[in-house]
Amino acid sequence: MGGNLAARNAQIDPFPGLVEAYGFVPNLFGLQKKLPRVIEAEQRLIDVIVVRESGLSRRMKDSLFRTVASARGNDYCRALHARTHPNKGEENPALIAFANKLAKHAPWVGKHDVEALRAAGFEDSLILETVLIVALGQLLCTLANALRPNLDPGLPLPAPIESSDLLEPGEHFETMGPYLQPHSQPAADFEPYAFFREQFGFVPKLFQEQMLRPDVVEAESQTLAKVLLPEDLLSRVAKEHTVLLISAANRNTYLVAMHSQILATLGVPPEDSNQIVEDHRCAAISPAEMALLDEVRKLACCPAGGEAGFDPVPLRAHGFSEPQILEAVAMAAVVNFLNTLQAGLGTTPDFPPRRVFTRKDLYPSSGPSRLISDATSPDDPDAAIVVRVQDGDTNAFEELVRRHSRRVFGTLAGLLGNLDDARDVTQDVFLKAFEHIGRFQRRSKFSTWLTSIAINTGTELLRQRKPLESLDEGEEEAEFRPRQIQSWADDPEQALAASQRINLVREGVLRLPEKYRVVVVLRDINQDSTEEAAAALGLSIPAVKARLLRGRLMLRESLAPHFIRREKRSPDAKLR
Amino acid sequence: MLSCAEFLAEFGDYLEEAASPEVRASLEQHLHECKTCQVIVDSTRKTIRFVTDCDSFTLTADQVEPIVKDVMKRIREKKP
Repeated sequence: MGGNLAARNAQIDPFPGLVEAYGFVPNLFGLQKKLPRVIEAEQRLIDVIVVRESGLSRRMKDSLFRTVASARGNDYCRALHARTHPNKGEENPALIAFANKLAKHAPWVGKHDVEALRAAGFEDSLILETVLIVALGQLLCTLANALRPNLDPGLPLPAPIESSDLLEPGEHFETMGPYLQPHSQPAADFEPYAFFREQFGFVPKLFQEQMLRPDVVEAESQTLAKVLLPEDLLSRVAKEHTVLLISAANRNTYLVAMHSQILATLGVPPEDSNQIVEDHRCAAISPAEMALLDEVRKLACCPAGGEAGFDPVPLRAHGFSEPQILEAVAMAAVVNFLNTLQAGLGTTPDFPPRRVFTRKDLYPSSGPSRLISDATSPDDPDAAIVVRVQDGDTNAFEELVRRHSRRVFGTLAGLLGNLDDARDVTQDVFLKAFEHIGRFQRRSKFSTWLTSIAINTGTELLRQRKPLESLDEGEEEAEFRPRQIQSWADDPEQALAASQRINLVREGVLRLPEKYRVVVVLRDINQDSTEEAAAALGLSIPAVKARLLRGRLMLRESLAPHFIRREKRSPDAKLR
Repeated sequence: MLSCAEFLAEFGDYLEEAASPEVRASLEQHLHECKTCQVIVDSTRKTIRFVTDCDSFTLTADQVEPIVKDVMKRIREKKP
């Protein structure tokens, strides 16, 4: 059977490496045919890790792949690697146990696990190979979990691998590496290092620690070149957000630190990256990207409990094309690959991490009550009602709408300028909040979370209407110098009727650039605190203060002609 | 003494009465001598008063209930 398939695929398929590895082109890769560069990257990794002869036999490698597939509950990948089984005496329980722990509980893997392998007689080269196979197994399982290929013909579904080490780990040991002995570094012109320096500005330690296998490092650099870097489908920043989100879900301090730094070099402020790490649903990103992150989050090695599987339907509804969806899935698979490598090698961060996942983060949720933890926002007056709604009491949501419609409307009216639009979009915001309230973890106040939804929804509407002015925390424009420097009347309210004043203020606010307007709306119209505004916008407190001052000064400038004291001008006034 | 540019970069916290005593003292020293910055501080405070006092972007109480009813109606219609 395998021979016939091989003959068929060798004639028609442009990916001979896959035929060499599996005897045919598995459905898993056929489903990605709209994105050949990604298949090329996967094929290259499979070639160097699976096909190339090394210390572990192919039968042992398949056994490790099946271990990973069993740990992830993925029947397709179990079947794909079921053709060979280790000969008697070749199967090694120590390697299987290590692979199982790395696949299922990567954050718990520590130096003692690697030392146990050494004590069982495994050299660093075999340990590295095992880590690579588990990482590749995670990549393949991620693809299969998302794309759900049909079982390939002729491959029987094997029985799951039973392991004595499937229990939840009870203790946490030292996880600081590196676990493998340092290896001599390559010549200065080693191409993958040149690639990392050019793309990232440095050579991440994660790759330096694999230099026992320079061919693998080269394949990994090519994978990043083909999956992470191209911007013809998804933007680089959206892909970097995927790295942050999945790495945070996998509790991987190393990858979060590394890609926060990379995002900083791309001009994304640390606060924005932090928001993706802590709670992407409060991040200042478009609804489309929010939907993308919602779905790829489900592909993490450590997905949140009780989540449904990856679903492309909401992504199509947001206008994502099939190649874009495939690229997002491939990106998630590569992130799980890198996360697993780091956990297996114990690589320490290249940069001081802003977010360190601690022992507390490692212990998984034991149930819904876990949501109410010391990490939730204290003093939220809405907390009790939110809990009722999360427990299924739809009617309780009515009170939340009543309490917050003025705030949401004020935010949207200030942002959009049109009161009728604001009224309509206010309803949409509450519907979105209701839809997603199950995922609201109460790390911020409900009102802050709701405001961030209002801002996302309002800015998305503006984006559809006109080219978007960025809300990002990028460089502020050059210093703002007030030009209207004549004294105002002592009682300027008397200068104009209330209705005229209201119109002037409204027009002045609407003329502000969006990044300043939204801060003025939150602080001066909604009267949120600086901290609340910063949380809702995903900005730092200094950034909010700077924008608020700039917005107020600009608004002052536009109001000044109507309120200056006409009878006593100060012709000599000027800034020093 | 601070220049006007330095004053304008720093006086956000002063408006909020959140500046540290040292910063506040140096800002007030500048203000004492600079008529232009006095005008800017005074007019910015009045601007903030206009924005916070004006009802440009608020719903009246009788406009809230229809929104509540519409939202809840749409939620209940959506529920299976």
